[in-house]
Amino acid sequence: MFETLVFTAYFGFYLFYRARSPELFLHAQAQLDLRIGVFNTLVLLLSSWSVARCVQSARAGAYRPALKDALLTAFFGLVFMCSKVFEWARQIRMGNGFATNEFFTYYYFLTGIHFVHLLIGFVVLGVVVYQLRSPARRSQELVETCATYWHTVDFLWVLIFALLYVVR
Amino acid sequence: MIKFNKRLLVVWVVLASLTLSYLWIDHSSQDQAGSLRASAVVTSGVIVIALIKVRIIFREFMEVRRAPALLCRLTDAWVILIAVGLLGSYFTGMAIR
Repeated sequence: MFETLVFTAYFGFYLFYRARSPELFLHAQAQLDLRIGVFNTLVLLLSSWSVARCVQSARAGAYRPALKDALLTAFFGLVFMCSKVFEWARQIRMGNGFATNEFFTYYYFLTGIHFVHLLIGFVVLGVVVYQLRSPARRSQELVETCATYWHTVDFLWVLIFALLYVVR
Repeated sequence: MIKFNKRLLVVWVVLASLTLSYLWIDHSSQDQAGSLRASAVVTSGVIVIALIKVRIIFREFMEVRRAPALLCRLTDAWVILIAVGLLGSYFTGMAIR
């Protein structure tokens, strides 16, 4: 919860400065491809759906489907990660770096911090897989805590996507 | 074999539809030359849609709807707090431009 409040403070600063210089932000924002943002969001929502299924399967004692869903979640996370790296590379090729202007500073900062949280999410999913693989370790509480972390990564992206790509 | 949960599918479809609605918002908020225009209405609408999605993720994917009432109220309060914070920052920035 504290983490999300820190993110909210970043979002607040971004919106404050954006409202003060709308032309600069609009001009820079036009360089982003909204379709990539939509694709990334749909992929991350798919990952949230599969981790929610993983929790329900584990609760019902169906550990094989739960393991399959945990691995599927990691796969969607990987697709998101590759798409993000592709988008960053594309922006850098277009000449839009971290210091190009205020908008791109926020763009790289927010997507970069989210990316770090996504990487931590892979470790968290690793814990889920480790838990589910052996009957001696299976802790439903731990699986649900890990799933909650993954959903947090998802809803933070939902907000970042809206603020960077669609807000006017 | 665990039964397929249709509710989670419906939740994903609703979240995906709200995401795709941004394409329509983007299209309808451009001027005739296809350039982006600043709009407080679009900004407010986009933030509200994003927070509706966040609340759905809380309640359905994170299963808060089945949690004790206090947790439900706390997460709703959190969503409202974020809404006030984001919209407040935006409109304050506009006011002192």
